[in-house]
Amino acid sequence: MNPLTHLSSYVHKKTPKLSEVNLRFLNSKAKTGVPLWLLGFGAVRLRTDMNRLLSLLFHQGVLDEQFLQLQQLQDQTSPNFVSEVVTIYFHESEKQLRNLRNILLDREMWDYVKLGIHLNQLMGSSSSIGAKRVRNICAAFRTAVEQNNRSACMRALEVLEHEYCYLKNKLHELFQIEQQRVLGDAVRYPGVVHQQ
Amino acid sequence: MTEGINGFSSPRPEIFPAGLRVLVVDDDPTWLKILEKMLKKCSYEVTTCGLAIEALDLLRERKDGFDIVISDVNMPDMDGFKLLEHVGLEMDLPVIMMSVDGETSRVMRGVQHGACDYLLKPIRMKELRNIWQHVYRKKIHEVRDTESHEGLEEILMMRNVSEQQSDDGYLFCGGDMTPGSKKRKDFEHKYEEKDFADHSSVKKARVVWTFDLHQKFVKAVNLIGFEKVGPKKILDLMNVPWLTRENVASHLQKYRLYLTRLQKDDIKTSSSGPKHPDISPRDATESRTESLKVQQNEAVSSHRTPNNLIIQNPNSTIHEVDIKCNASLQTIKPTKIITGYAAKTGISNPFESTQYLPFNSVLPTQYSWGGGFKEIQFKQEHNPPQFQVQNSCFTGLGLPAQQYIMPSFQPPDPVISPTWSLREQTSINNMELSPFLLQGQHCSSTNIDHLNKGLPECNDHEFLNDALKFDYEYPTDSLEYPLIV
Repeated sequence: MNPLTHLSSYVHKKTPKLSEVNLRFLNSKAKTGVPLWLLGFGAVRLRTDMNRLLSLLFHQGVLDEQFLQLQQLQDQTSPNFVSEVVTIYFHESEKQLRNLRNILLDREMWDYVKLGIHLNQLMGSSSSIGAKRVRNICAAFRTAVEQNNRSACMRALEVLEHEYCYLKNKLHELFQIEQQRVLGDAVRYPGVVHQQ
Repeated sequence: MTEGINGFSSPRPEIFPAGLRVLVVDDDPTWLKILEKMLKKCSYEVTTCGLAIEALDLLRERKDGFDIVISDVNMPDMDGFKLLEHVGLEMDLPVIMMSVDGETSRVMRGVQHGACDYLLKPIRMKELRNIWQHVYRKKIHEVRDTESHEGLEEILMMRNVSEQQSDDGYLFCGGDMTPGSKKRKDFEHKYEEKDFADHSSVKKARVVWTFDLHQKFVKAVNLIGFEKVGPKKILDLMNVPWLTRENVASHLQKYRLYLTRLQKDDIKTSSSGPKHPDISPRDATESRTESLKVQQNEAVSSHRTPNNLIIQNPNSTIHEVDIKCNASLQTIKPTKIITGYAAKTGISNPFESTQYLPFNSVLPTQYSWGGGFKEIQFKQEHNPPQFQVQNSCFTGLGLPAQQYIMPSFQPPDPVISPTWSLREQTSINNMELSPFLLQGQHCSSTNIDHLNKGLPECNDHEFLNDALKFDYEYPTDSLEYPLIV
């Protein structure tokens, strides 16, 4: 089976609308009018939401163990470590994706060497945060480049961009939940710095 | 954190491996950040760098400022392997390569270029925890190499003397974690050196090109300009009193070769070999004979190491090599190799420098006669000889396998000047004296002592000692050395 189509089938799976659930919950108020999330229930709920999202992403193969390593590296001295790294990753990979797109836009000659270089860089970055699917597509892309298969390269780029967008959205979601949880904790216990 | 002279942190061996100073080089900022965090978690001291050139500058600027370098293979400005070679050559630090690509050929290339290890990305923290082993391993290998010389008493005695006189900076300290002072040109050379060091306990009178020294050298070269460079100029610029021009010349040669190899240039530069404007005059005088005699004894004695020397010099090899030398020389005509004995008997033929190419005393590895010598020989083919031995000693001793071959002869100066050329001592097999000419210059003056970098060194006292020992085996008069004209 063409690995590219296999991978793209993942993209179209439906994901639970976690954010909607979150939103509904966040807006719900207790009898006293104080939002429930302020009362501490939110923290638990948010955490379970985050865990659910994470396990989903692992199940789908979007993320792998390296992401867990990143989370373990986060500590008191660098409380936002994961989100910082991921931000750098987004920045870098978008640059690489643009480069790839530019090379492939040329109808005539493709600089396969440069393609390979950019792909390698993207692969390296993706492996750093544990973006498994993106990395695998890069590998498939690289094979297509080595075979000088233009159409396969075009397809690979499309899938790559799609996967990347999906990853980005999910990670944003993750960070949002995380932020809310931290915020909730901070409000509940003002002045206390919480570890995650 | 202890601060060194330059305000940079110096190693603290008591808390090793914590505090290990790591330099991370990677063009990917994501990885830089992650690795920095991981290494910090291991209690290492991390410096990150996005460019290879920047990394090299950092390394050069902070001499002894780092214990280990971790570098990515694919980098935009410089190939990771090139950086690896540079670091190995100039700073002799352990280098770990990393890459997404784990292909066998790449890994092999990494190892060939001298990498201590090759990590595959994504890198887990547990892999980084153990990188201190490379630093430690290097350190103990260096210590072991020097300690192998300590087996012999006469060497010990000398060593004490030399240690007193030598520059502190060049001594190996047990607890010191400064990078080794042996230049590592090739992975194989290093291996051979270690192998050899186990066998021989020969005192080597050689220049050890420490990091510092090499830095000075490189600076001098850069100042002069690579094309116009010559050993005399470099020597002047380096301003290192005990260093002789041969040392510089040989080191320059190696450096050039290395650069050429880097540029994948097949044409060896033959234009600017070291120049020897002041080759000692070749007068046949009695004083020379005398000095020869003295030197011969000294040299002979110095080369003798009664124990565990490997005798491996078939006559033919030497001659073959000699012939090769001769053949390979372009500008020099090979002439006689005057033996000590001949000198002793007052041969009045004017000495001419035999123009054998010296081995770099710099080269830290011991080559076996057969392969290594030829190899080196060819490399040095194009260079005119680099002797500047003011007081050369002749020994008729065979060239055992593990020595730096000093194939050129120079008759000793009538004036015994204080500058000795530093040559590898040829370790002598007391068995194999007779038919061999040893072309070797041996320094046996006390001036040499401060050349000794903690390695056993020849000096007068020791020479004398050995000379006395030597006499019982071979009465001096019966030393017969062939005269090759």
